[in-house]
Amino acid sequence: MTATPHAATPSALPPVETPESQEDMRLLVAGQWQLMWWRFRKHKVAMVATAVSLLIYFVAVFAEFLAPLPRDHYAADYTFAPPQRIKLILEDEFGNREFHPHVLGYTVEIEAVALRRVFKPDPEQVIELGFFVDGLEEYRVLGIFPSRKHLFGPKDPTQPFYLFGADKLGQDLYSRLIFGTRISMTIGLVGVALSLIFGILLGGVSGLFGGTVDNIIQRTIEFFRAVPSIPLWMGLSAALPEDWDAIKRYFAITVILSILGWTGLARVVRGRFLSLREEDFVMSARLDGVAELGIILRYMLPSFLSHIIASVTLSIPGMILAETSLSFLGLGLRPPVVSWGVLLKDAQRVQVLATAPWLLIAAVPVIVSVLALNYVGDGLRDAADPYSR
Amino acid sequence: MIQYILHRVLLMIPTVFGISILCFGIIQLPPGDFLTFYVAELSAQGESVPEAQIAQLERQYGLGRPWYVQYFLWMKNIITKGDFGRSFTWNKPVSDLIWDRIAFTMLITLLTVVFVWIVALFIGKYAATHQYSLGDYIATFFGFIGLAVPNFLLALLLLYYSLQLFGLSPAGLFSPEYQDAPWSVGKWIDLLAHLWIPIVILGTAGTAGAIRILRANLLDELHKPYVITARAKGVPERTLIWRYPVRVALNPFISTVGWTLPDLVSGSIIVSVVLNLPTTGPLLLGALLQQDMFLAGSFILLVSVLTVIGTLISDVLLAWLDPRIRFS
Amino acid sequence: MSNSNHNAGADILLDIRGLKTYFHLDEGTVRAVDGVDFTVPRGTTIGIVGESGCGKSVTAFSILQLVEKPGRIEEGSIVLNTGGQNRVDIAALDHDSEELRQIRGKDIGMIFQEPMTSLSMMYTVGFQMTEAIRLHMDVEKDEARDRAIEMLQAVGIPRPEQRFDAYPFELSGGMRQRVMIAMALSCDPMLLIADEPTTALDVTTQAQILELMQQLQEEFGMAIMLITHDLGVVAEMCSEVVVMYLGEVVEQADVDTIFHNPQHPYTQALLESIPRLGHSHEGRLNPILGSVPDPYHRPSGCPFHPRCTQIITGRCETVHPEISRLDPRHTVRCLLHEDPHG
Ligand SMILES: Nc1ncnc2c1ncn2[C@@H]1O[C@H](COP(=O)(O)OP(=O)(O)OP(=O)(O)O)[C@@H](O)[C@H]1O
Ligand code: SF4
Ligand SMILES: [Mg+2]
Repeated sequence: MTATPHAATPSALPPVETPESQEDMRLLVAGQWQLMWWRFRKHKVAMVATAVSLLIYFVAVFAEFLAPLPRDHYAADYTFAPPQRIKLILEDEFGNREFHPHVLGYTVEIEAVALRRVFKPDPEQVIELGFFVDGLEEYRVLGIFPSRKHLFGPKDPTQPFYLFGADKLGQDLYSRLIFGTRISMTIGLVGVALSLIFGILLGGVSGLFGGTVDNIIQRTIEFFRAVPSIPLWMGLSAALPEDWDAIKRYFAITVILSILGWTGLARVVRGRFLSLREEDFVMSARLDGVAELGIILRYMLPSFLSHIIASVTLSIPGMILAETSLSFLGLGLRPPVVSWGVLLKDAQRVQVLATAPWLLIAAVPVIVSVLALNYVGDGLRDAADPYSR
Repeated sequence: MIQYILHRVLLMIPTVFGISILCFGIIQLPPGDFLTFYVAELSAQGESVPEAQIAQLERQYGLGRPWYVQYFLWMKNIITKGDFGRSFTWNKPVSDLIWDRIAFTMLITLLTVVFVWIVALFIGKYAATHQYSLGDYIATFFGFIGLAVPNFLLALLLLYYSLQLFGLSPAGLFSPEYQDAPWSVGKWIDLLAHLWIPIVILGTAGTAGAIRILRANLLDELHKPYVITARAKGVPERTLIWRYPVRVALNPFISTVGWTLPDLVSGSIIVSVVLNLPTTGPLLLGALLQQDMFLAGSFILLVSVLTVIGTLISDVLLAWLDPRIRFS
Repeated sequence: MSNSNHNAGADILLDIRGLKTYFHLDEGTVRAVDGVDFTVPRGTTIGIVGESGCGKSVTAFSILQLVEKPGRIEEGSIVLNTGGQNRVDIAALDHDSEELRQIRGKDIGMIFQEPMTSLSMMYTVGFQMTEAIRLHMDVEKDEARDRAIEMLQAVGIPRPEQRFDAYPFELSGGMRQRVMIAMALSCDPMLLIADEPTTALDVTTQAQILELMQQLQEEFGMAIMLITHDLGVVAEMCSEVVVMYLGEVVEQADVDTIFHNPQHPYTQALLESIPRLGHSHEGRLNPILGSVPDPYHRPSGCPFHPRCTQIITGRCETVHPEISRLDPRHTVRCLLHEDPHG
């Protein structure tokens, strides 16, 4: 088709906002989420990783129910008791085999030379296991509903059950890992939330106003990126007063982690602001005289939310690792608070490691959660912007 | 170029100033000052400190005066006399304690940078030129693992397995017989034989990141027209890849190494604690746990400033290697 | 056989037969070059024209085996006659073989559309030029340097000794294209492939570069394969023209025949689409009726039939035309000119 001269005249003016174009905008935004979801779904590894991450958060929420024992339960008789093997079939004295999940209790010998206790499985002591068994203490699901049930555990809660072995106080590593999940995973979330607030505020200000403000904030970001984080974190958390209680310390540590953590998010926010400022639909909204704040809320926020979500996901693992490292060094959280880092601290000394290598199991959830969140973040980033590589 | 370097050095000044303020803050945060600790410590051991010495120390560090006076005196002593204050746990000047530790930290970090560089270069090049091959997937997967496993965990695992398999601990930087021996060829060889362990452990995370970056950059460059021009000239494929796209992809890579430096230093501190290396790590941790703040603050100050200088050097190197920057 | 007979007279440098280069993408196979036949006589300039996306660049890249994955030369031969009985089928060589590398840059030089990105910014002009010279000529470093400076001089670069040590980003686009030409010609190739060498340059520079190429041809005597959109340029520079449509050569003839007696309906449409021949530098192809079909859905029969004004209804939709030879050096691929003997 050849265009008529009349129709060929290009319209040099920006489109005027009409109710129609607002409708388009909503479609555009909705369409974006939809598109993102389609792209994300194609990313198989990211989908699996999402399931794993959700499962880990589920564990964090229902820790009391999932852990066979209360967090602080200890039993000096079982110091460094090794992990028990779950056996499914029980053979009675007549040779009948029946399905009865159980573990074996321990016999303890004292090794004469090394003067240390050696645990052996004792075939005589059958500790039967069951689902939805009653535990030692009452707890509250979600902090509200009182319950005694545990997903699984010994039918007689006073009997020893150490799936992953015991630590130096005879505490059950399996239960403590589950409780540690709550602290480690939330410290990631809370720390990132704090960082996000800093990041959006400073990055947004930086990207919106530009000029001197931008310059100062950029320098500050560079400053924080140039300084090695661990020594600073160590210094700051060592300076926390000794007499602070667990809650105070928890929040202080998250604040310390986010002091250095906000810079990455601020850079992303600023970058998105800068590029979005130039985009057509924002320009046209600006020409219509919609106030700046209106622009931000209506047009900019939804369209870069996807990037923020991706960046946030990618910064949670960093927080988890940082907390683990600090607690491992004894400068982060401290008992009675249980985090994966706190649990790993027990494995710090070679001698302990030699006696109770199972303490290293605490590393597994760290690695799994960090890997999973990284894959989720990667998938989200690819889905948000397939061309940004 | 000179102008560029000058500019960068000038930009560094506020950073260093910021670091010093921060470190001073860390020193000041815990209640009480080192003198109180010192006196308390000594009197706990049944000794007493002569009044004259207390007065002298008070004057020297401006104790009891406003914080900025103390800060000023602290900085002045460092700059003019190399005096970082006193460690009350060791009862020694801080400067007597830190320098070899800092030197070992620098040695390890530097060697790790070289390690990261070389390994990432070869693996990254392989992964990019064999995109979507099995090797590429393996490299990518190990990249992720390397990022997910904190290096102190690697150190722990290594410790455990060498204990299990060989019954010996790989900790430290020297075999017992060289521990206190004077420097000799044998001691150097012994040092190198121990050094590779922390270097590999420290380098893993950095290598993983660097491989990802190099691979992505290289994938961008591999199909650029200048590569095709070179191919059309008859340059052999191997030479061509190294000489043209890799050369360009190296630039962002060098700056990457610049900003992984802070992470490497961070990592070296915690790995040193696990492996009990005679670097900054264990001493800094000890100082912090006992709130020996002058010692801790000085360590943090020095380590941070040296990191900033290292980053600066890598930026300058980058500028010098890239003719586009060198000539502008 | 008729095919070898017609070549007997002319001295053929490059003979391309049945060349097929496909891109295997996730979405399907793009048949970018789908049975291209044409010949390049020694020492002449041959123009390749056709609408955007018809496979001109892919053809050129195939000649030096520069097509990258997911592209692949599927079929056909590219026979280079370097003199006497010395024939090599480039398409059959291994992509990183010594033999192929000796052809690249030595027997065949190539310049590209984008002078701004075709040179590496990391090395000096001198380095990139002597690299080619030392690969193909048995010379020492300083001889290579002399040769490079001589070539820079020949392409009209002022103060070549200084330019030798310059980085490409210090040069203008026109200067860079001159460097590219100097580099491509530095080993005395028999063929220079120029893929839209002036598209990225401003009008005055375009004219200068084309003039330079003409003058260099007189001086060095190589053949030139000039890919262009500009029929004005073709009229001025070329002695023969190859017209391509959807990965096929639809017509090849000498320049006079193409302009004054075109036989293929597509060539005719092409010529009608430019206002006044030779007088306009705006001689870019205006779109002919309809548009190029998308590469995944090639029309059946004659690929041009959906847009052809002389379509033989009933035949053109189903029968794929063979090449007909109207003259020793005039071939057409159209059912209107079907060889009575098949
Ligand atoms: N790397 C590639 N991957 C996929 N398809 C390609 C690739 N390169 C070329 N093609 C396809 O091959 C066809 C021919 O492309 P080519 O670049 O040869 O066209 P051209 O005639 O040179 O066009 P122009 O005049 O625009 O340069 C096009 O349809 C294009 O889509
Ligand atoms: S073969 Fe038929 S459709 Fe094709 S160009 Fe000739 S007349 Fe037109
Ligand atoms: Mg082209």
